[in-house]
Amino acid sequence: MNIDDNGTTAARAAAMAAHQITRRNALRMGALGLGGVGVSAFLAACGTNNTSTPTSSSVSSAPSSAAGGATSASSAAGTGAASSSPATSGSSAVPAGKNGGDVIIARAQDSVDFDKTMVFSNASIWVYVQIWEGLTIGSKDGTSVEPWLATSWTQSADKLTWTFKLRTDVKFSDGTPMTSADVKFSLDEASSTKGGWEFINSAIEKITTPDASTVVIKTKYQWAPLLADLACPSNGIVPNKYGGRAKKAFYTSPIGTGPYVWDTWNKGSKLTLKKNPAYWRTGLPYLDSVSWQVVPDDNTRNVMIQGNTAQINENPPFSTIDQLKGVAGAAVTLFPSTRTDYILMNQKRAPFNDVHVRRAISYAIDREALVKTVLFGNGTPANSLFMPTVPFYDKNTPGQTYDMTKAKAELAMSKFPAGIKITYLAASGDSVDSQIAQILQASLKELGITMDISNSDPSAIHDLQNASNYDISHSYWTMDIPDPDELVQFAVLPSGGGHSFNTNYNSAAAQSLATQAQKTFDTAARQALYTKLQALLAEDAFLPPLFYQPFPYATRTSVQNFFVKPTGLYDMAVVSLA
Amino acid sequence: MKYLLYVLRRLVTLIPVLFGISLLVFLLLKIVPGDPAVTLLGSHVTDEGVAALHQQLGLDLPLWKQYGSFLGKLLHGDLGESYQYRSSVSSLVFQNLVPTIWLIVAGALFAVIISVPLAVWAASHRNGFGDNTIRTIPLIGLGMPAFWLGIMLVLLLSLKAGAFPASGFGDGFENHLKSIVLPGITVALALVPILVRSLRASMIDVLQSDYVTTARAKGLTGRRVVFGHALRNAAISSITVLGVNIAYLIGSTVVVEKVFALNGVGYLMLTAIFNRDFPIVQGVTLVFAVMVVLVNLLTDMTHAALDPRVRLA
Repeated sequence: MNIDDNGTTAARAAAMAAHQITRRNALRMGALGLGGVGVSAFLAACGTNNTSTPTSSSVSSAPSSAAGGATSASSAAGTGAASSSPATSGSSAVPAGKNGGDVIIARAQDSVDFDKTMVFSNASIWVYVQIWEGLTIGSKDGTSVEPWLATSWTQSADKLTWTFKLRTDVKFSDGTPMTSADVKFSLDEASSTKGGWEFINSAIEKITTPDASTVVIKTKYQWAPLLADLACPSNGIVPNKYGGRAKKAFYTSPIGTGPYVWDTWNKGSKLTLKKNPAYWRTGLPYLDSVSWQVVPDDNTRNVMIQGNTAQINENPPFSTIDQLKGVAGAAVTLFPSTRTDYILMNQKRAPFNDVHVRRAISYAIDREALVKTVLFGNGTPANSLFMPTVPFYDKNTPGQTYDMTKAKAELAMSKFPAGIKITYLAASGDSVDSQIAQILQASLKELGITMDISNSDPSAIHDLQNASNYDISHSYWTMDIPDPDELVQFAVLPSGGGHSFNTNYNSAAAQSLATQAQKTFDTAARQALYTKLQALLAEDAFLPPLFYQPFPYATRTSVQNFFVKPTGLYDMAVVSLA
Repeated sequence: MKYLLYVLRRLVTLIPVLFGISLLVFLLLKIVPGDPAVTLLGSHVTDEGVAALHQQLGLDLPLWKQYGSFLGKLLHGDLGESYQYRSSVSSLVFQNLVPTIWLIVAGALFAVIISVPLAVWAASHRNGFGDNTIRTIPLIGLGMPAFWLGIMLVLLLSLKAGAFPASGFGDGFENHLKSIVLPGITVALALVPILVRSLRASMIDVLQSDYVTTARAKGLTGRRVVFGHALRNAAISSITVLGVNIAYLIGSTVVVEKVFALNGVGYLMLTAIFNRDFPIVQGVTLVFAVMVVLVNLLTDMTHAALDPRVRLA
């Protein structure tokens, strides 16, 4: 969401108009609730955004090597046939730091709800992962799964039964030791809540607890993504039966095994977590408290970093990154992310049911230009449905690149070689969306395709996309687990319930590859399947990917060891102040 | 007694007003495209998910039942539960109302403090250099958008001078006071040109009236004439202007709230609209309506207190 500053001018115009009406009329209008309705009118007036002219700014240093071709040697998720060694490496390695201090993270949006089985808002998830932890965790580069509250696991010969050994030194912040009963309760809770994250656990048939430190998970079918699924934030471990509290009461002031404990939440402005002194990772966390402060205005967040009233600025817009780089005492880091933007084409409607039209459009997308204007150069053009930050991404996927000759050739092969008229559904007030639409509009014109742009507010757009009531539009995806299956289910499989990312794409070949990959445990074999799938999806141009973009963060230089994983999660336990 | 009855009667008129607003807002929200369940599910939206959420949120019921249950709760003082926060709307609204009310009060106070001396000076030195300056400069203020003015104030008075906090509302009364100065000035500077112009015009009017001439003839000092007689009478129309503007400010402080990260009820409303969090939108609208009616009532009462000819009955 981007609240636009131009709205002010509209508000002022309305104010001027208000002076011209008599007081009685104004009173009556006020009584009719125009006070409130005025806000919506003011929203409607929020058109374009205040982005400055594009610059050819250099891509600032990425902290991890994950940006490159990531499929290479790293041990990918789902290979856990043998037991792993206890957590000593990767994400759990403890960097040195100084004790004490409070960090304020300024962000545009507030957390909403903390029911981890239901809430999809990143603003909530990024906070609650400091309170709850899972059995496994995604690695820093996002391409593998590491042990966390579970130290090791084994798999039965038929690959259906997984036995997990739990850490025995873990306590909830109220002092109760964490046992297998808590794990069973937490996973069952996540599997059974309707309208939430239950789809992540759809392969789990039954969980049993032979002893306090052993959990046995039986799956309905062979299921390779299980370890990655367990790293999903919704599968964090809460106390059995919410420690005797009602569900709602529990999630209003939750407890967990994590490095921070619940302190206060002034909804709409500030949420604070305090240090958990009895945290199982000895010596951590370093900070006394972490607060997330809601600062909706982009400039104000930058000013707060400048004045050190906030130490971390979450996702500053790309348009302000150059400005932030110039601030003394501040640093900007671009963390490789799983965020990938796509063009949606509704294949229920002509001409998008014709693969040649789709390919023509995909060839006509100038991805380099998009990266320059939309991301201010801070990203890379995308070639695959998968992103380089998930396992099994294939950098050789033959995704379409900008080529108007090929686009024209494809269009000539289609059933609609001339006179196509389509409408692009764009989110009003979203500068990214309007830039994508305009760049696409220009190149489609060259193809003889007339594209109108229709603006609606983001919530309405979302609704129209979900109802398949659109021609062409834009959307994006971020991963929640270190395994591509989450996206593949949503984008390819009818069982995923996502109408193939609302495109209504339906390919038996793709579905077969996707389901085979779900039950293939051998990394190389699974890679082969996903390589084939990515190539097929690219050729079908069912969901042309646009670009891979990083998560930008501005921090005070005093902030040490702040690292954001490709899924967006960060571990505040290891963060310290110099 | 009559006075009290009048106030009571005005308050009773709130009931049909609130009923009308609640119905209007409820229907408007149903017409607007966008499904709260789809918004809640974000990029993970599935048909099953939407159906499950509709059931949980009561959105699968017929419209009249939804409105009925909303009204039923309202009669018990319950504004319902937010879809996003899954917590009580009343507490959310009242929590967020605090900075907004501070902002409006501070804005109005600063506006009066700045405007009255300027207008009086301008009126009593009519067409002089000072008058022209006072009439021109505030207009520049009117042309400065709040988001720009706010950031400028922060840069100058907060970052450079360190006098006031850059953003947020602070904890405790003293910090609230410090935090509200810059946003209050930002709001006030938008009101000042309007107030100065209206007060100056009515001052000039009043200064030409017979009783001022009489007062002068009686030998009263210029100051006593201006402050004792003219200002009091000239203020009446300006109070109406101020009242209308404050009523307008309610619900439109969101830009200033955003710049200063005050996160009052305006911002709550804004995000609720974006997220189709209907219960919050309804709750905030009702609170806004009550505030608008109260401000208008207060304006009338001040009017009557200043002008004995006005009878509230």
